[in-house]
Amino acid sequence: MLVLIASPTGFIELILFFAVGAIGALCLRKDDKLANVRSSFFAIVGSLWGTIFSVGALFALNTILFSIGTPVFPLLSVSIAIDKLSAFFILVISLVSLFCSIYGFGYVRHFYGKYSIGALGFFYNIFILGMLVVVSASNALFFLIAWESMSVASYFLVVYDRRDPNNISAGSLYLVMTYIGTACIVLAFLMLYKFTGSFDFTIIKTMMGTIPDWIKNVVFVLAVVGFGTKAGIIPFHGWLPSAHPAAPSHVSALMSGVMIKTGIYMMIRLFLDILSPIPEWWGLSLLIIGSISSLLGVLYALTEHDIKRLLAYHSIENIGIILLGLGAALTFTSLGIHSLALLGLVAALFHTLNHATFKSLLFLSSGSVINQMHTRNMEEYGGLIKYMPQTALFFLVGSMAISALPPFNGFFSEWLTFQTLFQGIASLDFYAKWIFVGAAAVLAFTGGLALACFVKVFSATFLARPRSSEVAHAKEAPFSMRFGMGALAVLSLLLGIYSGHISAVLGYVGRDVSIFHDVPALFLSSEAGRLVVGNFSSVSAPVLFALLLVVLVVTWGVVRFFVYKKQEIHTGITWDCGTDLTPRMEITATGFSRSIISIFKSVLKPSMQHAVEYHDAVSRYLPKTRTVTLGVRDMYRLYLYEPINGFVVRLSRYVKRLQNGIINAYMLYMFVVLLVVLFLAVR
Amino acid sequence: MDIFFNQLLPATFFLTTIYFHLARKNFGIAIGYGIQSLAIALILLGSFFDTRSLTLLFIIILLVTFKVIIAPKFFIGLVKKHEVKFSSSAYLNLPLSLIVISVLIAVVHSRVFLPLASLVPAHSELVLLAIAGMLVSLFLVINRKGALSQIVGVLSLENSIVTFAIFSGLEQSTALQVGIMFDIAVWFVIATVFVSMIYKHFGTLDITEMKQLRD
Repeated sequence: MLVLIASPTGFIELILFFAVGAIGALCLRKDDKLANVRSSFFAIVGSLWGTIFSVGALFALNTILFSIGTPVFPLLSVSIAIDKLSAFFILVISLVSLFCSIYGFGYVRHFYGKYSIGALGFFYNIFILGMLVVVSASNALFFLIAWESMSVASYFLVVYDRRDPNNISAGSLYLVMTYIGTACIVLAFLMLYKFTGSFDFTIIKTMMGTIPDWIKNVVFVLAVVGFGTKAGIIPFHGWLPSAHPAAPSHVSALMSGVMIKTGIYMMIRLFLDILSPIPEWWGLSLLIIGSISSLLGVLYALTEHDIKRLLAYHSIENIGIILLGLGAALTFTSLGIHSLALLGLVAALFHTLNHATFKSLLFLSSGSVINQMHTRNMEEYGGLIKYMPQTALFFLVGSMAISALPPFNGFFSEWLTFQTLFQGIASLDFYAKWIFVGAAAVLAFTGGLALACFVKVFSATFLARPRSSEVAHAKEAPFSMRFGMGALAVLSLLLGIYSGHISAVLGYVGRDVSIFHDVPALFLSSEAGRLVVGNFSSVSAPVLFALLLVVLVVTWGVVRFFVYKKQEIHTGITWDCGTDLTPRMEITATGFSRSIISIFKSVLKPSMQHAVEYHDAVSRYLPKTRTVTLGVRDMYRLYLYEPINGFVVRLSRYVKRLQNGIINAYMLYMFVVLLVVLFLAVR
Repeated sequence: MDIFFNQLLPATFFLTTIYFHLARKNFGIAIGYGIQSLAIALILLGSFFDTRSLTLLFIIILLVTFKVIIAPKFFIGLVKKHEVKFSSSAYLNLPLSLIVISVLIAVVHSRVFLPLASLVPAHSELVLLAIAGMLVSLFLVINRKGALSQIVGVLSLENSIVTFAIFSGLEQSTALQVGIMFDIAVWFVIATVFVSMIYKHFGTLDITEMKQLRD
C-alpha cells in the first residue's frame, strides 16, 4: 500500500488534481457557483491526496525519484526527488491547503458577481501546484519554472480585488521584490553551474569539492537575499505587510502559512544538504538576521491596527524564530556537533509546521471577521464574541498558540529553539556564545511582546463594547468556514499535546539529510508523551495540558463556591461620573500599544498628531472632539527602499535620454557597440 | 586588366562612398549609387572571366538590372514625383565629417583589423578598403538627416559587404551568389516600401520631422 501511495504515479496524480482544478475553473468561469465548486473540489481532494501521499513518502524506505528529459533543452529536465525533507514540506503545504480550501469554498461566495471566480480558482490551484513542485524539484531550471509559477499565480491572487488601488500597488511591490529575489537565485544557480556543469541538485552536491570557498560564500549571500525575500526576512520584507492583507483571506493564509516557507525549505536544502561543508559565519549570520527579524517583526505588529497587516508582521517575527533554529543548526554543523545541529533543524521544522497551522487559523478567523465588518481596522471592532462566538474561540486558540502558551503547539517549537540556543551558549567559544545569548534573549523578549500584541488584538476585536454600528449586524461564519478554522484549531492543540511524537518524527526527517545520518535516533525521542532531548532536557505536553485543566477547574471552583456562594447579585448602573458607559471609554488598540511603542521610540520613530474641534471656534474654551493619531514611520521604506527607488528613477531618466526617437542615434549606438566589440575581440 | 579590376574599380567603389558624404543633391546620390553598383558588377565580371561560371554571370545580369538601372531610376523618379527637397543637412558639418571618415579609415588600417586583412594576403589592401567602405557607409546612415540618404547608406553598406566577400575570395561560393540575388530583391522591396510608407505617413523624408515616432 505504502509503495503504491509513495510512488511517482502518486505524485503525478497529485499534480493532476490541481491542474484539472485550475483548467476546470477557467472553463466554467461564466458560472461563478460551478467554478467555485469545481476549483474547491479539486483543491480539497488534491490537498487530501497530498496529505496521504506525503505521509506515505515520509515513511517510505527510499527517496521517490523520477526524471523526464527533454532532448531540445538538455540542461532542463523535469526532475523530481522527494526525500523525507521534501515530503515534510509537501505535508505542511497539503495540510494547510486542505483546510484553507474548505474555508475558501464558503468564503469566496461574497465575490460572486463582483469578480471572476473562475480566474480565482485557476490561480489558486496553480499557486498550490507551484508550491508542491518547488519543494519536489531537483533540477535548478525546473525549480525556477515552478518558483515563477508560484510567484506569478500569487501575484494575480494579491491583485484579485482590483477595485482597491492599494491592492494594485501592493501587488506591484510584491512583483518587483519577487523578481529582485529571483534574480539573485538565478545568479546563485548560474555560479554553481559554472563550476559543476550541471543544474541537477544531486550532481551539484557530489561536485561540491570543485567549488572554491569564495564562490560558496557568494552563493550563500545570494541565496539569503533571494530566498529571504520570499520568506520575508528583514530588510527584504517590504512587500509582505502590503501583499498578504491584499489577497483574499484563504489565500493570505496560504501565503503567510506556507508560501514563505518555500524560502526556508530552499535555505535548508542548499545550506545543509547541497553546499555542505559550510563555514561558521553562515550560521551566525542567520542567527543575527533571525533575531532582528523576530524582534522588529513583533514590534511593528504592535503598532498596527489593521488586523491583517498585524498578522503579516507576525509572519516576519515567526520566520525570524525559524531562522534562529536554522542558524543554530548551521553553526553546529560547521563545528561538527551534528546532534545539536539536528536539534536546531528539528526546532526550525517544528516551528515551520506550527506557524503554518496557527497563522493560517488566524488569517482565516480574521477573514471571517473582515467579511462581516467590511473593514480591516480593529478600532472599529469590539464585542464580536457575542455575535461570532465560535470564530472568537478559534481566534483565541490561534492567539494562544502564536503567543507560545502551553499546551498549544507554538510553545513546544519555541521551547526546542530555546534548548538549541542554550546548548550553544554552553558549548561554543566567546563571540559565538554571545550571539547565541543575544538570540535567546531576543526570543524570550519576542514571546512576551507577541503575547501583549495578541492580548491587544483579541480584546480590541472580540471583547468589550462594539465600537461601530456594523458589529450589531455581524453573524457567525458559514459552516465550511467554521469547519476550516475549527480543524486548524484542533490541529494546533493536537500538535502541542503530541509534540513529543511529532519531534521524534521530525528527528527522523532530519536524519535523512546526509550529514545527520550518524546522529542516534534516541537523541530526540518521546517517552510517555514527553519530549526528551538527549539527556539534558525534557517537557511533557500531557502533564502541561492536565495542569492547565486542573488550574481551570480549580479557578472555576474557587469562583463558584467561595466568591458567589450565598451572595446576592445586584445589577445596577455603573457609577461613571454621571454619564452613560460608551465605547469611547474603552481603551483602543492603539492606546493599548502606546506605552510599548514609547519604550521603543528610538527604533519605531512614532509620530503623534493632535486634532481638536471646538464648540465655539472663536472662544476655544469648550472642545467638542479631541483626536489623537498615532503613526509609525516605516524606517525601511524611508531609509532603504525610497533612496534605492530615487536612485533608480534618476538613473532611468539618464537612460531615457538614450531613447530619443532619432534613428541616427540608434544607428550610432550600434556603430559604437560594433567598434567596441571589434576592439575587444582583437584584444 | 589587373589595374582596371584591382585598382580602378575598387577605387571607384570607395570614392563613391566618400562622395555620398559630399553630395548636395539626391539626384547625385542616386547616380552615385548606380556608379558604385556598376563598379561592383564590373569587379564580378572580372571574376567571371576567370571562372566562366554561368551562375555568376546570372548574378551580374541581375545586379546590373536592379542596382545599376532600376534602383537609381526608382530613386530619381521618387525624388521627381514627390518633389522631395534635398536635405543636405547632416549632424556634423563637412570638415568634421571628413575628419571622422579619416579616423575610421585609420582605424581600419590599425592592428584591430589585421586578422581580417591577413585572411587573403594577396588582397589585404582591398579587403581593408571594403571594410572602410562598410564603416564609412554606416557613418553616412548615422550622420545624415534625410531618409533617402540613409537608405542609400544602407545599400552602400550592403555593396561594401559584397565587395568584402569578393576580395576575400568568397565570390565562388554558391551561398554568396544566392545571397546576393536574394538581397538584391529584398533590398529593392524594402527600399520601395520604406520610402513610400514614410512619405505617405509623414509627408516628408526628413527624419528630423518624424520625432513623434517616440510617442
